[in-house]
Amino acid sequence: MKRFKHLALAAASLTLALSACSSSTDDSGDGGKDKSSEDKLVVGFSVYDMQYEFFQKMAEGTQSAVEAKGWEFKLHDEKSDENEMVTGAQALLDQGVDVLIISPFKPDALGPIIAKADQMDVPVIVDDIGGGGTPYDAIVISDNEDGGVQAAEYMDAQIKAAGTTSKKVVSITCEPSAVYAARRNEGFRAKVEELGYEVVTELSGNSKAEEAYKIMKDALAKDPDVAGVFACNDPMAVAASNAIADAGKDPVKDIVTVGFNGDEEALTAIEKGQLSATIAQDPSAMGELTVELAATAVEGGDLPFDNAEDREVYQDVTLITPENVADAR
Amino acid sequence: MTSTELDDGKQGQRVTSTVTTTEAVADGGRPRRTGGRDLGHLWDSWGMTACLAVLVAFAAATDPEFLQLANIQSVLTESAYLGIVAAAMTVAIVNGTFDLSVGGQLALVSVVSLMGYEAGGTGLAVAAALGCGLACGLVNGTLVTLLRVPPFVATLGMLFVFRGVAYILTEDSPAVLPYTEIDSGFAQLGSMRIAEVPLPFLLMVGFFAATYVFLRRTTAGRRVVAYGSSPEAARFSGVSATRVRFLVFGLLGLAVGIAVLTYITRIWTADGATQDGFELRVITAAVLGGASLQGGKGSLVGTFSAVLLVAVLNDLMVGQGVSAGVQQMVLGGVLILALGIDGVRTKYGHRFRAVLSRRREVAAPS
Repeated sequence: MKRFKHLALAAASLTLALSACSSSTDDSGDGGKDKSSEDKLVVGFSVYDMQYEFFQKMAEGTQSAVEAKGWEFKLHDEKSDENEMVTGAQALLDQGVDVLIISPFKPDALGPIIAKADQMDVPVIVDDIGGGGTPYDAIVISDNEDGGVQAAEYMDAQIKAAGTTSKKVVSITCEPSAVYAARRNEGFRAKVEELGYEVVTELSGNSKAEEAYKIMKDALAKDPDVAGVFACNDPMAVAASNAIADAGKDPVKDIVTVGFNGDEEALTAIEKGQLSATIAQDPSAMGELTVELAATAVEGGDLPFDNAEDREVYQDVTLITPENVADAR
Repeated sequence: MTSTELDDGKQGQRVTSTVTTTEAVADGGRPRRTGGRDLGHLWDSWGMTACLAVLVAFAAATDPEFLQLANIQSVLTESAYLGIVAAAMTVAIVNGTFDLSVGGQLALVSVVSLMGYEAGGTGLAVAAALGCGLACGLVNGTLVTLLRVPPFVATLGMLFVFRGVAYILTEDSPAVLPYTEIDSGFAQLGSMRIAEVPLPFLLMVGFFAATYVFLRRTTAGRRVVAYGSSPEAARFSGVSATRVRFLVFGLLGLAVGIAVLTYITRIWTADGATQDGFELRVITAAVLGGASLQGGKGSLVGTFSAVLLVAVLNDLMVGQGVSAGVQQMVLGGVLILALGIDGVRTKYGHRFRAVLSRRREVAAPS
């Protein structure tokens, strides 16, 4: 019985401590908010996972843009965990950030975060990944469709330069749930067909290299005269290139192979002549763009949407070829 | 020690030896016959609480944001789902078993609960969470008792099975509480507060208290402890190992069900990958709190403090921007340090304890 009393006592004292805190911090909490709006703005950025280079660059771009404005920057690392994402992003709101920028590990877990931000009247700018059907203020994504178009145009030029007459091309997509990434293949398909090509194989490699390898191998067995292949991400493009090489062809001269992302492995492959090109995303510029949008949102101005219905703002993507691969590093 | 003695609730009427024995039993430790407390005994039950107090003081001194009301609420809210399952895990360890499948259960119950919400609102979501959790526990219980699969293997297997089912249920898209349901009771549950205390934390305190009462005031609870500390003796005195084990796994499943109510109502989405590695964090908390994986020893007070200690430690590290890798290393280091202290104490502490308790043993009328 004695120990149980201790437990009850511990719980009771915690409760007491909490109510003591509440009375002492309630007014100062509001005061802090007023102060920050006159003073300098505090921008919170909750990042997907700092272990990935892509998100390190995104965080760097966001931080330097915030600091260039003379504002305060607070970083939170979700560490690829939805629980950490919700807890940490809500903690940023509790710390009184004036605007929240978030690249969500799980877009569907944005709900409770946006609900809290809405309650506190804090604008939320989503950086990449997805919006989870929530009423965020804006979402920044790479101009995926344009990336697909650029890939198609480059492929067409290379095929013509090599004198290949075949009009057959292959398109390897990411997992079907990645709706933004799907636009890469949609943009590619629309443009190549416009240029007179036929997409003879279009299959999902679920973003995985090993699946892309198999898709390319089967595609070559079906149509040995394929002239080009576009993959939704770089690991799949490199895998497709390997499948082409294993089939005894050259993945640059015989079949034009184009990826998407601008990953390290793709840049290396381009330098070694094992990949024709990739479409590079610019996470640092995406970060800068979210800060510009945040500044406008805090002032209550109109955000410059590229797609107003879904509140999307696009960041330009760049074609990386052997000619400019050295500058891409 | 008869049940009348335990149930009368009047401490003053008990002989000293009974009081200390029941204390040790409720705490899951070996019954002690000494009338007083030696340092080792104190460390067993309050060591982790003392560490927690020191850490909180350190946090308050170094991090000005730590003592903010919102931050404390956040730490307590966040602790709940881990704590509730850790309480049940402590009971399992006291009983001499453990459950590796709780992570899979958490994922599956979360998915099923969200599906329940979609089909029938808050009521069905809550019922689905508790029902599915209990069902998971009973499956484990059946495997371990009726089919005699060793708990390690049975629950390791079920970890994959539960996760697998959660994956299959969310194959097309993750289970989601849509934003349009923002005003529903279910969506509010995780962020509700009573007198500024987060509801999830109150649930955790309630669950610990209920588990505590169960272990020491009910016959079934005492059997759980008796079987864990001495299976042979318990069998001779007619305790059915099967029924006790079944009960323990049922309790674990129910705990996961309650934990999910504090988890999914904050996170709003789940799939097969939800809370990967949860089972190891739960076992870490129990072991940190003084539970021994050799079985028969565990402390609810210790586990309660350990859960909060880990939460405060994480909060501090996140606040300081410590990287994920370092954070995991620190947690591992703390676990090994805690057990190291325990090991050194067991090895060298008996001499001091013997000196300290000899006098009292003479005085105790046992």
